[in-house]
Amino acid sequence: MSTKERKLGSVGEFIRRPYVRHIFIIWIFVTIAIGLFAPVQSSLMGNSASLEMDVVKETMTIFTFWSAPVAGLVISVALYSLFGWRSQGETAPTEDGSPMRSNSKVVVGWLVGSSILCVMLLVWGLAAMSESHNGSDPAKIHTVNVVGNQWVWNFDYKDDGNFSTPVLYLPIDEPVMFNISSVDVIHSFWIVEMGVKMDANPHETTHMRVTPTELGIFNIRCAELCGLNHSAMFTKVHVVSKSDYKVWVDSMKGSAQ
Amino acid sequence: MVKRILSSVAVFAAALAFVGLVASYAMSKSKEPAPFSATSAGTVATSQGQMKHVTLALNTYPDSGVPANFNSDHTDHADWVSYGPSTRLEVPAHSLVTITITNYDSGEVLNNSFFKDVIGVEGTATLNGKPFTSVPPDHVGHTFTLRPAPINHNSELFVSVPLLAVAEDAIPAEGYTDTPNVITFSFIVGEAGEYIWNCEYPCGDGSYAKFGNAMSAERWMSGTLSVV
Repeated sequence: MSTKERKLGSVGEFIRRPYVRHIFIIWIFVTIAIGLFAPVQSSLMGNSASLEMDVVKETMTIFTFWSAPVAGLVISVALYSLFGWRSQGETAPTEDGSPMRSNSKVVVGWLVGSSILCVMLLVWGLAAMSESHNGSDPAKIHTVNVVGNQWVWNFDYKDDGNFSTPVLYLPIDEPVMFNISSVDVIHSFWIVEMGVKMDANPHETTHMRVTPTELGIFNIRCAELCGLNHSAMFTKVHVVSKSDYKVWVDSMKGSAQ
Repeated sequence: MVKRILSSVAVFAAALAFVGLVASYAMSKSKEPAPFSATSAGTVATSQGQMKHVTLALNTYPDSGVPANFNSDHTDHADWVSYGPSTRLEVPAHSLVTITITNYDSGEVLNNSFFKDVIGVEGTATLNGKPFTSVPPDHVGHTFTLRPAPINHNSELFVSVPLLAVAEDAIPAEGYTDTPNVITFSFIVGEAGEYIWNCEYPCGDGSYAKFGNAMSAERWMSGTLSVV
């Protein structure tokens, strides 16, 4: 061990060091700033048009908030290293700084703290996923088969009348199960405002449930680069009232016959 | 410090200039077919009232090099299947567009039977003079499938019409069939805007569900429709 190497010593000695106090103060400010940014971040995700998007935005806020202490520590140490431990002279120092050795108490504290945060996020995530997959009578869920083609989406309404359309219509406040597949290459079915983004794979069906909560017309895009006209692989989803949906379904059944 | 910043800026500028040169070279080498403008056919009554009526006559051949007036810009892959005489179509705004496609090509099974149906047309589509709404999904030569370009994403125009395949035994060993299938359909275009169309029958080559070669390059089985 070099004579310049040193142990961190006791926790008490460690926290009395000036740079530790400085980093601690920076950490407090950065953590509060990230915590305050958490709800701003989810608002930047745009308007929510489904229950699932509400859960996604809430999860983003909570995850950002809970990860703020860890991110704050990394950022504060980086900032202090950049400005506090920078060589002040005209020329570069001839010797390297003192190497640091690990401190078991600090390492244990860091690992335990990080683990607790990770478990909290895991529990939250599992609960959010469960919330978006349960809670409705399966008989009341509309089923739409979403098919990706190079470079068109089409939607098969097997339960509501057995017809196919290039534009999606959904009733408001009623759960819909998308069975998503592809007939050629990998696509990705993406409705930003509804928090829906799921790969459409050939030879495989993926599933995603959504409950629209806002009337309106929203864009559906392909989020997976899929060939020549990938940029034109978009269509619309119309979220309409339950009565308008019934009228639309009846008109489609009529035209399909 | 100043020297380091200046060096970084110079390297970034040089990289940017290099990328610009490569891009401009690629653009200068890309071939855009000549626009194929619709022919005026007077006015016509539609479901949206009286409108201008224009017509376009297209064709599809199993290759793109033989007929003298057919896709003369296709000198690089003459054996690729192709639409013609151009894939760059132009029609006037607020008009009824009637397209007649003469299909000389055979075909097989669609990847997705969704495209066997006639979708989004005004009035009735005809096949060899007779009204039709779909063709057998295992006997499709090509499709003409039109939808908005990304720049025109507010439009919801969607038109898809299947072209019945010519029977294999009607295709001679050399030359083209004397009995092509003639498909006619109409649709209404509104404001000026850009649209993209392509074939949805897997008539290209390669492992990507037969969407390689002619299906993955502009000017063969895909093109644009400009509403001007």
